[in-house]
Amino acid sequence: MSIAAKEIQHQIKEPKGLSSRIARLRDYYFKGADRAWNNQTTSWTTGTPWDVQFNEITFYIVPETYMLMQTLRSSYRQSARPVILPEDFWEKSLVERRAWFIREVMVNYLPKEILPGDLLAGGRFNIMASMCLTEKEQKEFDRLTIGKKGAREAVFWFHGHGYGNAGATSGHLVPGHERALTLGWKGIHADLESKYNSLSKEDQDGAAGAQLRAMMTAATMPRDLAAEYAKVCQRLAVKETDSDRKAELKQMVQNLSRVPWEPPKTFWEAVQALWLNHMLIMSDENYPGPGVSFGRIDQYLLPYWEYSIKNGMDREFGKEILKCFWVHSNTAYDYMIRSGNQGISAGFGQLITLSGLGKNGADMTNDLTYAILEVIDEMTPILEPKPNVRMHRNSPEVLMDKMVDMISSSQGAPFLINFDERSMAGMMREAKVAGIEHLINKENVHEYAPVGCLENTMVGNDRSGTVDNNLNLLKAVELALTGGRDLIPFVDPMTFKTEKIRQDGPETGDATRFKTWDEFWEAYKQQNAYIIKKCVDLYEKSESIRVKFLQTPYLSCLVKGCAEKGLDITQGGAEISLVTMEAVTYATTVDALLAIKYLVFDGKKCTMKELIQALKDNWEGHNVLQALAKNRAPKYGRDDDAADAMAKQVMDLWTVETWKHRTISTGRQFRPGMLSWNYWVGDGYVMAASADGRAKGQFLSNAICPSNGADINGPTANANSVGKALGGMAVKGQGDWEDYLNSLPNGASHTITFNPSIIKDPEHRNKFKAFLKGYAQNGGTCLQVNMLDSDMLRDAQKHPQDYRHLLVRITGYNTYFTSVGKELQNEVIARLSHQKF
Amino acid sequence: MLTENLNKDQATILEIVRMSTEDGPGIRTTVFFKGCTLNCAWCHNPESISIKPQLQWVGSRCIGCKTCLSVCKENALTLTETGMQIDRSRCTGCGDCAVECPGTALELMGKIWQLDDLVDEVIKDRAYFETSGGGITISGGEPTMQAGFAGAFLKSLRAKGLHTALDTCGQCSRNALDQTLPYAAMVLFDMKLIDPEAHKKFTGHDNKRILDNLLYVADYIRSHVYPSGMWVRTPIIPNATADSENISGIGQFIASYLDGVVQRWELCAFNNLCQDKYQRLDQPWAFADESLLTKSFLDELTDTAKQSGVDPDIVFATGATRLETPENMQKPETQEKQETQQEVGDGVSSERI
Repeated sequence: MSIAAKEIQHQIKEPKGLSSRIARLRDYYFKGADRAWNNQTTSWTTGTPWDVQFNEITFYIVPETYMLMQTLRSSYRQSARPVILPEDFWEKSLVERRAWFIREVMVNYLPKEILPGDLLAGGRFNIMASMCLTEKEQKEFDRLTIGKKGAREAVFWFHGHGYGNAGATSGHLVPGHERALTLGWKGIHADLESKYNSLSKEDQDGAAGAQLRAMMTAATMPRDLAAEYAKVCQRLAVKETDSDRKAELKQMVQNLSRVPWEPPKTFWEAVQALWLNHMLIMSDENYPGPGVSFGRIDQYLLPYWEYSIKNGMDREFGKEILKCFWVHSNTAYDYMIRSGNQGISAGFGQLITLSGLGKNGADMTNDLTYAILEVIDEMTPILEPKPNVRMHRNSPEVLMDKMVDMISSSQGAPFLINFDERSMAGMMREAKVAGIEHLINKENVHEYAPVGCLENTMVGNDRSGTVDNNLNLLKAVELALTGGRDLIPFVDPMTFKTEKIRQDGPETGDATRFKTWDEFWEAYKQQNAYIIKKCVDLYEKSESIRVKFLQTPYLSCLVKGCAEKGLDITQGGAEISLVTMEAVTYATTVDALLAIKYLVFDGKKCTMKELIQALKDNWEGHNVLQALAKNRAPKYGRDDDAADAMAKQVMDLWTVETWKHRTISTGRQFRPGMLSWNYWVGDGYVMAASADGRAKGQFLSNAICPSNGADINGPTANANSVGKALGGMAVKGQGDWEDYLNSLPNGASHTITFNPSIIKDPEHRNKFKAFLKGYAQNGGTCLQVNMLDSDMLRDAQKHPQDYRHLLVRITGYNTYFTSVGKELQNEVIARLSHQKF
Repeated sequence: MLTENLNKDQATILEIVRMSTEDGPGIRTTVFFKGCTLNCAWCHNPESISIKPQLQWVGSRCIGCKTCLSVCKENALTLTETGMQIDRSRCTGCGDCAVECPGTALELMGKIWQLDDLVDEVIKDRAYFETSGGGITISGGEPTMQAGFAGAFLKSLRAKGLHTALDTCGQCSRNALDQTLPYAAMVLFDMKLIDPEAHKKFTGHDNKRILDNLLYVADYIRSHVYPSGMWVRTPIIPNATADSENISGIGQFIASYLDGVVQRWELCAFNNLCQDKYQRLDQPWAFADESLLTKSFLDELTDTAKQSGVDPDIVFATGATRLETPENMQKPETQEKQETQQEVGDGVSSERI
C-alpha cells in the first residue's frame, strides 16, 4: 500500500444503514483502549523457570520489531500466568504438550464473554502460550535463535546490510474451512482416529503417532470451547428481560451445542462455526491474523445461505450475522491495544475472496457475493476482513457496477481486485515447475484464492509461506558495481559503530574495467544468484528451528496432507508445501540497470568510476549526473518496449534462479512473487543510493509497480508494462493458462492511482469498468485502485520532484500539476477537496 | 490560401495522451497534431498553434546546471534570477538544449513522427479500446493541416479494425477533408461562434468556410456508413462565445442543417489554468484575468442550448466551473435560488500520475 493510500484512510466515508445492534457493536469496537472488554494478548506459562512464550521467529520479517524483540520476550515472560499441568505432561511429545496446553488455555483459562447484542460467540483469542519446551529444548531453542551466530543475529545482519529479511512466519494460508464445515470437527476427529488406528504400532509410537494424537486433542478444542460459550449464552438468556434478545441467546445456545462439532445446517450456525474455527488458528499460532485468510467465503457459505433464506431467514438478518462476524474479525487488532502500538500489527489481512471463475469458465458470482459486498459497503470504514474481488474477462456487469460504485464512494479506501486469468496462469506455471500437476491443473486451478492481500495459493492443502522471504533485488546491482562488497559501510543503529567493509558476494571483477554492458550483466547475474542463495540460507535458519520446536497441531487439522503424512504443517505437512521468495525493489532494480547501461555504456554520460563515486557520495556534488539518471535514462512502466524488455530479463533471471532452491529441513521448493508490504519505504533508508537517481533515504519501488514518478504515460501504459514484465501473452495455445503467461505464481502487487474524475458520472464509470476489463487482458494479477486526493496534491506541491508527471487534465487542456503556479495548484486542490461523488 | 501538407510519411506531433476519456467515446489515445489554422484568442493549448517546434522552460525542473547555455549555438538562452530567458528571435527550435537538459526543464514542443512508428505507438492500448468502444482521436492544433499524414494514419488504423475520430475546427480545404473523412469512424467538429464578424475577431477568420465544411461533412456522413456521426463542441468563453445569442444561433444551425447527424453537442467550459502555458511561451493572454464560469451560468447556457431547437438529450456541459463553497460563493446577478452545495463538475479531469 502506498503512503498516500494510508493517509487517505483517515478521511473515508461514514458507515450507513446499520441497525442499532451493529452500530453499538461497531462504535464500541472503535472505542479501542477505552473499552472495558478487549482481546489484548494474555500470556500463559507452564510455570517452569526457563519457560518462554514469545516466538520471535515469526516476527523476523517485521524489521520494526527488531529493537523490541528482547523486550517482548521478557515482558510476555513476566506477565505470564501459570497453567496447572497434568502429571504426565512432560512425558508427552512436544507436539502433544502444545496441543494440550493451547486447548487448556482456550477452554479453561481464557475468560468468555458475549457482548450485548452480539450474534456470535468467540471473543478472546489473542494469546501467547508457553512453547512447552523442556529445559534442554529451551536451551537449544535459545542457542539457535538468540545465541551467537543464531537466527536473530543473522536476520539483523541481513536486514542491516540491505538484503531484506526472511523468517518462518505464521498465518498466510487459506485453511480448509469448507471441509471443516462439511464434516464438522466430529468428522475431522473421526478421520484422524481412523488414520491413527491404521498406523503400524511402530509408527504409533513414533513421530507420526504423536502428531496424530496431538491433532486429535486439538480437534476437540472447538467442541469444548463452544460448550463453554453455550453456558455463557444460557446464563445470559436466563437473566435477559427483552424477549427478542432472549430468543436470540437461546438460539445461540442451540447453535453452539451443535457447531462446530456437528456440521452446520443454517447460515447462522455456519458463520458461528467458521468464526470459531478461524479464531482458534490465531490462538494456535499465537499470531493474530496476518494472512489467516478465509478463501472463497461466498462459495462455501452459499449452501447455508440458500438453506436459511429458503427456510425464512430475512436477508437483512443474514447480513446482520455477517456484520457481527466483521466486528469479531477486527478484534484481532486488540493484540497490543494497551501498548497503543497498532503500527506493527496494523496490516493484518484476514482476507476474504469474492466471485471469480468456476468450472468450465462459469462465473461464480451469487446472491451471497452481493450480500457480502453490501455488508462491506455499509460497515466501511472498517479494516477487517479485507476483501479481494476476483474478476475475469466475463465478470458480470452488475458485479462490476457494484465494485465501481464502492470504489467511487470509498473516497480512496484501497480496493483489491484479483485477475483470474493471469493469476491462474501463475498457478499453472507453479504446477509445472514444481511437478505438482496432480494437485494443480486445468480442472481445479479456478479454486485458488489469494492470501493476506493478493498472494495466490490453493485452498485447504497449501502453505506456501507467502511472506516469508523478502529480498531486495537491488542489492545484486550494488554488489555488481563493487565486485561483491557493500557500497557504503554499515553503521550499527544501536552502537553507531561503523563496520569495516568486507567481501560478501562473489568477486565478479572491477566494474570500472568493464568494457561492455554484457560484462556488467554477467557480474549482475552472479550477484543475483548469490543474494537469492543467501536469502535461502537465512530462511533455513528459522525454518530448521520451527520444524523442531513450533508445531501447530490445530491448524494442521485444517490443512490436507498433514494427517495423511502424519506431519505438522510446520514440518511440511501440507500437500502443497512451497515457500515464497517475494522480490522487493523490482522497478528500482530494473531502472538502476537501465541507467547504468544508458549512463556508462550507451549514452556515455559518465564513466563507471564516476557513477560509483556519485553513488558513494549519495549523489551529493553530482546533481547533473543524478538528473540525467532520473530524467534521461529509460524507465520501466511506460510501455516502452525496450525498457520493458530489460524488466522481463530481470524477471526471468530472478524467478528461474528462485525455483532452483529448496529448504533443507522441510524440502519446500521456493517460488517467486512480488509483494513489498512496507519494506520499500523502510529499506529505502538502509540501502545505498541507486543508479536510477534515487538517493539513500528515498523510497524504493513497491512490488511490481513502476518507480515513483516513472509512470508518465498513464494507467494503460503502466498496466501494459506490468503485464509484459510477467510474461505477457503467448502464441495461441502456448500460455500457462490459455494464452496467458505468468512468472509469478504468488502474484504481484500493483497499485494505480486514478483521478476521481474517472468515476464522476455513469459514462465515465463505464470507461473505468472498461479499463478494468482491459487490465484483465493486458495487466497483472492484482490491482489496488486508489483515487487521487487533495492530500496527494498537497504533497506534490511540497515535493514536486516526486510528482513530476502528475497530469492535470480538464476538457481540452492538459498540464503537469507541478508546472502550474502555486495559486492555481491551490485552486485544483480546493476543487478536489470539495468534490462529491 | 489553405494548402495543407500532403506528406503521408511524417508529421509534427505535439503530444500523445493515452487513456483519454474526454475526446470521444470510450477510452481513447488522442494524438495532438501541432499547428492550427485558427488563432483563437482564448486557446487553451497555445503551444499547438504554431506548426514549428517551440521551446519551453519549466522552472520547477531546472537544476541550474547551465548545460543548455553551452549547448545553444545561437546564444538564445540567458539564465537570469527570474528564470530562463529564451530569445525567440534567435531560437531556431533545433532542440539541442532540450536533448541535453538533464532535468528536462527545457522541452521542445513538437516532434516529428514517422507513420509506422506512430501507428505502433497508438495501438498499444487496443485491449482497452475494445473493452470500452474507444479508439484513436486525432486532434490538435488542426490535424487536417497535415492532411496527407492524417489521412494515411487514419487509414492504417481503420485497416487494423480500430475506431478513429477526427477532431477538427473546420478551417481547412475540401481536399483536406476528402483525405481524412473516409477513414474517420466519427467526427468531432468545433462550432465556436455563429456570427461571422465575431468569429473573425476572436479566431482570425470568419466562419464561412467552416460552416460550408460543416455542411459538407454532414452530407458526407449522411451518404456514407462512416463517419457514423458527429459531435459538435462549443467552447464557452466569457465575453466571447458565452452568450445566449451565440448558443441559440449555433443550436438553430444544428437543428436546421445537421438533422440526424449530430449525436452530441458539448458545451466545454472556459478554463483558466492555461495561463502558465502562455507565460512559458512568452505570450500575453487576453483571458488571464477571467475566472471560471459559475455553475448557474453554465446551467443557464445549457438550458439555452436545450431550448434552441436541437434534441435536448444531445446537449452536454463539460469542464470545471467556479467553486461554490459557502466561503467563496459568488452570486451571479441573475441568480435564482441556490440549491444546496452543488457538484463542481470535473475538477481535475483525467487520469494519470
